[in-house]
Amino acid sequence: MPKSQFIDPIKVRQAGKIEFKDIPVNQYDKSVEEEKVNFSKEQFIGIYHDMVLIREFETMLNEIKIKGEYQGIAYNHPGPAHLSIGQESAAVGMAYHLNAQDFIFGSHRSHGEILAKGMSAIHKMDDNALMEVMKNFFDGTILKIVSENHQGDLKALARRFLVYGTLAEVFARETGFNKGLGGSMHAFFTPFGVYPNNAIVGGSGDIAVGAALFKKVNQKEGVVVANIGDASMACGPVWEGLAFASMDQFEQLWEGAYKGGLPIIFNIMNNQYGMGGQTCGETMGYDIAARIGAGVNRDSMHAERVDGYNPLAVIDAYQRKLELLKDKKGPVLLDVLTYRYSGHSPSDASSYRSKEEIEAWEKQDCITSYGTELVKAGVVSQDELDAIKADVAELMKYSMKLAIDEEVSPRMDLVKHPELIGEMMFSEGSIDKMEDRPVEVNHPIEENPRVKQIANKERFAFDANGKPFSKIKQYQLRDGLFEAIVDRFYKDPTLVAYGEENRDWGGAFAVYRGLTEALPYQRLFNSPISEASIIGTAIGYAMCGGRVIPEIMYCDFLGRCGDEVFNQLPKWQAMSGNVIKMPVVVRVSVGSKYGAQHSQDWSSLVAHIPGLKVCFPATPYDAKGLMNAALQGTDPVIFFESQRIYDIGEQFHKGGVPEEYYEIPFGEPDVKKEGKDITILTIGATVYRALEAAKELEEKYGMSAEVIDARSIVPFNYEPVIESLKKTGRILLTSDANERGSFLKDMAQRITELAFDELDAPPVVVGSRNWITPAYELEDYFFPTKDWMIDAIHEKIVPLKGHSVANNFTNAEMIRRSKLGI
Amino acid sequence: MANAIIMPRQGQSVESCIFTDWYKQVGDEIKQGDILFAYETDKASFEQEAEEDGILLATFCEAGDEIPVLHNIGVLGQAGEDISAFQAEGRDESMEESTTAEENPEVEANEPVQVVLKEAVNGDKVKISPRAKKLAEAEVVPFEKIEGSGPQGRIIVRDIEAYLASVPKITPLAKEVIKEEGLQVVEQGSGLDGMVRATDLSTNPVYSNDFEVKKLSNIRRLIAKAMHASLQNSAQLTHHLGADARRLLELRKLVKATEGAPNITINDMVCFAVIRALKLFPDANAHFMGDSVKYFNKVHLGLAVDTDRGLMVPAIKNADDLSIAGLSSQFKEVAESCRKGNIDPELLSSEAASFTVSNLGNYGVEMFTPVINLPQVAILGVNTIVPRPADLGGGAYGFVPYMGLSLTYDHQALDGGLATRFLKQIAIEIENLSIDF
Repeated sequence: MPKSQFIDPIKVRQAGKIEFKDIPVNQYDKSVEEEKVNFSKEQFIGIYHDMVLIREFETMLNEIKIKGEYQGIAYNHPGPAHLSIGQESAAVGMAYHLNAQDFIFGSHRSHGEILAKGMSAIHKMDDNALMEVMKNFFDGTILKIVSENHQGDLKALARRFLVYGTLAEVFARETGFNKGLGGSMHAFFTPFGVYPNNAIVGGSGDIAVGAALFKKVNQKEGVVVANIGDASMACGPVWEGLAFASMDQFEQLWEGAYKGGLPIIFNIMNNQYGMGGQTCGETMGYDIAARIGAGVNRDSMHAERVDGYNPLAVIDAYQRKLELLKDKKGPVLLDVLTYRYSGHSPSDASSYRSKEEIEAWEKQDCITSYGTELVKAGVVSQDELDAIKADVAELMKYSMKLAIDEEVSPRMDLVKHPELIGEMMFSEGSIDKMEDRPVEVNHPIEENPRVKQIANKERFAFDANGKPFSKIKQYQLRDGLFEAIVDRFYKDPTLVAYGEENRDWGGAFAVYRGLTEALPYQRLFNSPISEASIIGTAIGYAMCGGRVIPEIMYCDFLGRCGDEVFNQLPKWQAMSGNVIKMPVVVRVSVGSKYGAQHSQDWSSLVAHIPGLKVCFPATPYDAKGLMNAALQGTDPVIFFESQRIYDIGEQFHKGGVPEEYYEIPFGEPDVKKEGKDITILTIGATVYRALEAAKELEEKYGMSAEVIDARSIVPFNYEPVIESLKKTGRILLTSDANERGSFLKDMAQRITELAFDELDAPPVVVGSRNWITPAYELEDYFFPTKDWMIDAIHEKIVPLKGHSVANNFTNAEMIRRSKLGI
Repeated sequence: MANAIIMPRQGQSVESCIFTDWYKQVGDEIKQGDILFAYETDKASFEQEAEEDGILLATFCEAGDEIPVLHNIGVLGQAGEDISAFQAEGRDESMEESTTAEENPEVEANEPVQVVLKEAVNGDKVKISPRAKKLAEAEVVPFEKIEGSGPQGRIIVRDIEAYLASVPKITPLAKEVIKEEGLQVVEQGSGLDGMVRATDLSTNPVYSNDFEVKKLSNIRRLIAKAMHASLQNSAQLTHHLGADARRLLELRKLVKATEGAPNITINDMVCFAVIRALKLFPDANAHFMGDSVKYFNKVHLGLAVDTDRGLMVPAIKNADDLSIAGLSSQFKEVAESCRKGNIDPELLSSEAASFTVSNLGNYGVEMFTPVINLPQVAILGVNTIVPRPADLGGGAYGFVPYMGLSLTYDHQALDGGLATRFLKQIAIEIENLSIDF
């Protein structure tokens, strides 16, 4: 809460009532005749053409799925095909006014939107620009394929390009728009402004907001449309996206060119069903989806229901809404009413709706009725319309033949290149700044109060005599993070950071103290307490070309953004065929002292998900070096921090933490203490407890322990650990994560596999108990301690002379606990 | 990857070689097949070719060094590779002197581990860590006999190290041979400080596995000892001579043809003849005592008897007092006692007989060199009867049955002439034998 905004009790306690603006419903009532002043004949026909194109494309897929052939060409497509037959006017109307700088995001049912938006871009772009796009995309691979035997103009060629590229993607061909790694539900093509379509219902609801944020923060042309289904209006992330998009601060706190609402339209493609659930009347209570706008902000999101069965009605609505966005009045909510005749998917028997209902809608079919109107108004003849249909059918036949030709459109050859997908999981970029332009900051970095304060700190924890400086004098882990982050803010103009309490407060753990002074609002701000939107918007922001540091205040809140962290963030680089980069560094703070929902180390959960880099530094030197590496990279990083050690000084790196920029490569563990009798591998803050254990082992038992800090866990280089193991023959692994399913178990298994013959005892994992985290005062019974480590060594690795154990690490106890699931 | 250059192995018994010269300098680029170095054994010199391409990264020995086979003498690899893992073990001090300081196992300072051995029980699962097992196999430690000190009695590295510190070292060659041929480790070797050498493993390199080792029976052990002592402590040689056996065969025919006559065998007759000859040659009826000779008045005739339990030589006391029939019956009696095992042990002592006859004629042996039962001075080997061309007189030649006689005598006690004459006398006695029965 900024101090500039005074909450006046007298004012807020006054009586009153909320009045809602009217939300128009299907107000458009113009005839084609009346619209002739707004549309040329070509434009009228173009609308018809684009609808027919979508209809035929999906009819083709439907016939392939149901009959195994189209126009006599047999093909088996085992993958998904969620069709929108019947919804074409909604898609074409949505796309009509948009150009390539306007981005659309969609759902699993977005073939129509891809084609509509693609055609819209083709209609508007000049030939040179089109040619550039086609030539540059995957080095002209698709262009080369569709250019063969092409007769006609460049726009016709571009149409081939669009249809073929989409279809090849649906059929998982390497020549598809995303190298076949996206498929039907995720296909997209960014040069035409088609951004990822999302197979998780409502998945685009927060990601698209991030794209709008990118447009705003980086002052880019264009708007963003989130095409989401009516049923996704029940999804948390969609609501979180709405909340994020409608924050007051855009209007009230952001300044200058940045002031004003986000340029985004939430476009509800309201086909009235969520799979088999009928939204109006069964699964939702909004009656008319546009009503939702009333609950979101003062403007009711300028919400409106539009008759999506009339393309001209949708086009009209878009024209008005785009004007609003130009005036920075976003966000906008549109409820575009439509209907799909096709089932949810080919396996759908439509048992949830009557035949009469489908027939009633078919009678009003959007293409037929629009065509009839055009003919009636004398815009075209029926013959002309029929010719369009015939031409489109020819195009589909051509595209299908090409897309199923194993020679022309092969799938990825994983026999010849077995690691092709592996190589696409990370982009491994090293980029100072995502865009080359001046950074917006409030003052030169030297004038920053935090920077000045750090200059007086001791960058190594101990003085020349080995005596530690006072905590306050020591350069702390939080200072290392700050230095790396502030440095990047002064390098990369696209970098933004946000989360809960990130501004003013300086971050809950004072990492960002001083940043508020340095940065304008649009680069550092408080988000709603809404983790799904924090991560979801960051994903959208990065997809568009920005770098971002979203923060999750407590690791325990990762569950709140489960889909974003597990399904979205890790996948889009590879699913895009490496078209998209994902420079998102998610700061995640692991707590303690605050009990069961604020003390969990979930590094293992994210390490399990392919496509994320994961690190957990435990020293100021490592924190700064790894944060620098994370921010220099182009891959998503889950950056764990421990609240136990934000104030720890640098105890290992001789000479202290360097003032200058340096990177610590991901995946390289670090030996914090050398030894020869046993290796202790740690993740996170347990390194300090391991060092205590090492000290006691040395003093009491004459055993010399080597302590290795993993630092990062994905990627991870096992070689230094194996080297250590060759020397010691014994290894204990420890972290604060729950012992069951901990990433340490994965490491223990991998170590056993890699160095079985080096082992003098099984690798032993010492993690937290598989309980809830108890109160702070009981934490020593829950989190690993030095005594646990020594007891485990005595019990499982090498009996220590004269040692008596206080904790039960026997096999019998392990079996008992496992049997009980605790 | 860098690889060690090792002193090549030369067969089953060469423990170490003398390093002669490096043909390449450290830093030289080496091609596979280049001559790298030369070395020699006490029998021949050799040149060693490089087995792979690379850079010679290090050398650990120089001309004249004695290097145990299979030890690293250098490193071949790529420029810049770490060679610290290839410790310079070229000149293994342990080959020349025992250095106990180095042998201290790497166990925790305050935790000396006792080596506890146990009787390995077949079928018992041995709990041993992979690392300990690897070390045990490399060092040919019989780990199944060691009590483990790890969790649940698991054998861990410190146990193997403690064991190694408690037993003599084994040469690299011996380790190799033990591993290759699955031999038992001998606990005490013939090298310095008990170091076990390949030769201590006494193995036939050709039929390495085709045998089973059994403990010697007592009697075998005695025989072995006696036979070995005999050859070691005397100057034995053997003369061979034939005796016309027509008379013997006639007599034997006669014995057989005579109803009620004792079964006097050819051996009985030969022994009877020997006794007569001994009476004429007292020098042969004696014991050689090193600085004195014991001459017997009577003939105490030893007779080699083959039994299941081994060779036995019972003595017939005062054999010269016996008639042929008496001698024959005594022989049968003692031979039977030998076979039954109830012979008076006194009679088996080599001191009990003054002369021994060993008859292999029954088995078709034509000539052999019997070994003297010391301290007797001679032994007669009796061979089979074979037909031999002979001058029948009057310019006529024909085949005559001859019996081979092999007299081994101790040249310390008897001269060759005397021995020859004695042997000839036996032949004469045989050829002119007359017996009553």
